[in-house]
Amino acid sequence: MTVPREVPLPTALADATEKLDGTGRVVVVELGAGGITTYRLDRDDVGFLRCRGRNVPWPVLLGGRTSWDSGDAEGERAVLRAAGDLSGAVVFFVCPLPDGSPTDTAIAWLRKARPEARIYTADAVVVADLIRAAMANDPLRWPYDLVLLRAHPDGRLELTAEQLFPFGARRGKLVRRELRCEPSDAKGVAFAVVSWQDRDPVLVSIQAARVPAGRHELTAELRRPGLVRMSIRGVPELTEDERDWAELVSAVPLRLASPSGPMHLICAVETCGAPAKVEERLGRIRQMITTLSSELPDRLDVSLVAYGAHSYDARDPDPPIDVAAWTASPVRALESLRRLEDAGADARGYPDAARLEDMLAEVDRRLGSAATGRTALLTVGERPPHPPRVESEILPCPARHDWSQLLRRLENRPGMTLGAICDRPGERAGRAWSRLGGGAPAHLEAVDVRTLAARMGLRRPPDQLIPFPLTVD
Amino acid sequence: MHPDPGSARPSHNIAMWGAPGSGKTTLLASLSIALMRRRGPWKIIGADDPSAEFLEEKSLTLSRGEFPQATLDMESYRWVLVGEPKAPERRRGRLFGGPPKAAPAPRVGISLLDPPGGLYGDRGSVSATDQKELLDNLVQSRGIVFLFDPIREFDNGDAFDYLYRALVQLAKQILAGDDHGDGKLPHSLAVCITKFDDRRVLQTAERDGLLTVDPDDPHGFPRVEPEDAARLFHRLCEVSRSGNADLVVNALDQYFREDRIRFFVTSSIGFYLDPERNVFDARDFQNMVPNVTGNQQGLKAGASKFRIRGRVHPINVMEPMVWLGEQFYNSQPNNGTI
Repeated sequence: MTVPREVPLPTALADATEKLDGTGRVVVVELGAGGITTYRLDRDDVGFLRCRGRNVPWPVLLGGRTSWDSGDAEGERAVLRAAGDLSGAVVFFVCPLPDGSPTDTAIAWLRKARPEARIYTADAVVVADLIRAAMANDPLRWPYDLVLLRAHPDGRLELTAEQLFPFGARRGKLVRRELRCEPSDAKGVAFAVVSWQDRDPVLVSIQAARVPAGRHELTAELRRPGLVRMSIRGVPELTEDERDWAELVSAVPLRLASPSGPMHLICAVETCGAPAKVEERLGRIRQMITTLSSELPDRLDVSLVAYGAHSYDARDPDPPIDVAAWTASPVRALESLRRLEDAGADARGYPDAARLEDMLAEVDRRLGSAATGRTALLTVGERPPHPPRVESEILPCPARHDWSQLLRRLENRPGMTLGAICDRPGERAGRAWSRLGGGAPAHLEAVDVRTLAARMGLRRPPDQLIPFPLTVD
Repeated sequence: MHPDPGSARPSHNIAMWGAPGSGKTTLLASLSIALMRRRGPWKIIGADDPSAEFLEEKSLTLSRGEFPQATLDMESYRWVLVGEPKAPERRRGRLFGGPPKAAPAPRVGISLLDPPGGLYGDRGSVSATDQKELLDNLVQSRGIVFLFDPIREFDNGDAFDYLYRALVQLAKQILAGDDHGDGKLPHSLAVCITKFDDRRVLQTAERDGLLTVDPDDPHGFPRVEPEDAARLFHRLCEVSRSGNADLVVNALDQYFREDRIRFFVTSSIGFYLDPERNVFDARDFQNMVPNVTGNQQGLKAGASKFRIRGRVHPINVMEPMVWLGEQFYNSQPNNGTI
């Protein structure tokens, strides 16, 4: 490989390095004031341009003499040793000082060894800077990806990667990526950049920062191959992560307790009965919405459904189920909740059961048959539903809604989670409330909303820490 | 409805008999409604002002969907059950004697002593005067309406207590002499199995295959034929909480003539009918709605724990009275007034 003499050194060097493949080399031999310095450039396994330098000062080369004769075989060997193996490489000789000093003799010997190499003579050229620039401007030989976790609908976590910089990207390239972070340990969330060798990822860098849980925008800048600077607004500067890859990967839980993606929380509340109880039920719902809205920012939709008692009085027909909010923002849902709080308890109607079955029918109808992603139904109340037909002391639902069948439909919905808070303790809650509570309803007087939310998979349990950022689906 | 009492002075009383909560007051209130619903030949009128007011007040209460308050004091009512006059009949020997004379309308005098349920059973809480009045009433009666509440019997199992104590007293007064050679009380006894509208009673009858439907009934209400009512009574006695209900059956057999006992499966309020469909729906027929929860939270003083859900459709409330009246009427063939 020859380099046309007329091409300036920076251009020729950049051209040569850019064309380097996985087996070639570029060698720059600088004969400067400090001796002979050899820069050997090649690419590593992931195509990253690397450079190794070696300097042999003139006094060492000359061995106590002040100059060489052209026939000084020992001096020639010393010079060639200093230049190193030049076979198969693109070679540049750079001579800033053509002043008859040992440089002339040394360059002659080198030219004899590699007559095709080009000699550049230039004052004030700092070869190290040229090489640094060439390396920095070197385009990516392989794409750079950011390591992320993808949470499947069932909460299962999978390591994945999303491209940051494509093949051929050069320094200064700026990209932005939306991602989501879950709570992490004290060392923070690891932002790992990988390249690829065949199909295997090769780690380029890992940086970490304490990032608040939630959705963020990551800005990544390719400073040079092998160096990516990342930043997140509102987050302190990312620093190099000392954890090794194996440690990070082993810290990833099998499942995410707070799965990714949007969450639709349906709060159904029984508004009949004792005013104090109704107030407490609404208070629990307020707690739940407030808690989740801070833990699931930007991805929580809330529906609020209120139901009372059947009247069984032709003069006072049952009103429609009160859907105070449907797929509303948490703020909007809390406003609707305020309306229910102001209205208070409804003392009218059948005292021994509530229109739970009508509520289930309304929720089922509104959810429809299409897939709706992750949905959680939280029911808060006490009374049993009305049966669809005479089967107990409780009068049948006038609309003949079958609570058991409706509940089965909801239970079988993909992505559906059930939870309940019952005025009565679990052992006295009854069959319907056990099912509404996914097996065990929480007791109104003792419920811890955060624990219930974690049990329902709506929030991360306190001990679950996620070391990598997550994809935003 | 204030008839001339003098024209219909009853010569026989019908005594109501049953445990507290067995529905005596409600049955009386539903009687008027039943007669109007039936559009039959019989109507009931009060024989005095208190009786007429009672009839009016309790009937209106019931038709408003409320249960009348239970009897707290001994109350006595006199009513007259008035039928339609019989068509004139020709008699031999009157061929030339002018137009035939119409037979007078049958008038069955009914004097109901409506005691609080406790009077028959719990002697400790009742004054001696009331006890005597009640016993006298039973002695003077020739008809007894005995209300058997199968739900109460299932829960409390005390029907025999209420029956037996009174029977012993009654027998002591009536059978001590030699007037009744067969050793049986002279009364006709209408045993009313109440609360047919209750799920458990209806389902018991259904399980035993005792339900029929009158094809002419536009509402399609289920019913138990008179000949099957005794069987349902026995069946309900079997599930008594105390296990003594079989003694009720034995006591009735022991003290009353078989041909003077009849069983009626009754309901004062009847089954619920959906106003739009207006036919009996086996999936939803309960006509009684609780006003409050079991712990009675929020129940106003004097208010009933239950209200009536829809219209009142009394079942077999009139029939026991008519049957008793006919028993008296048949025993005195020459007079339309008993």
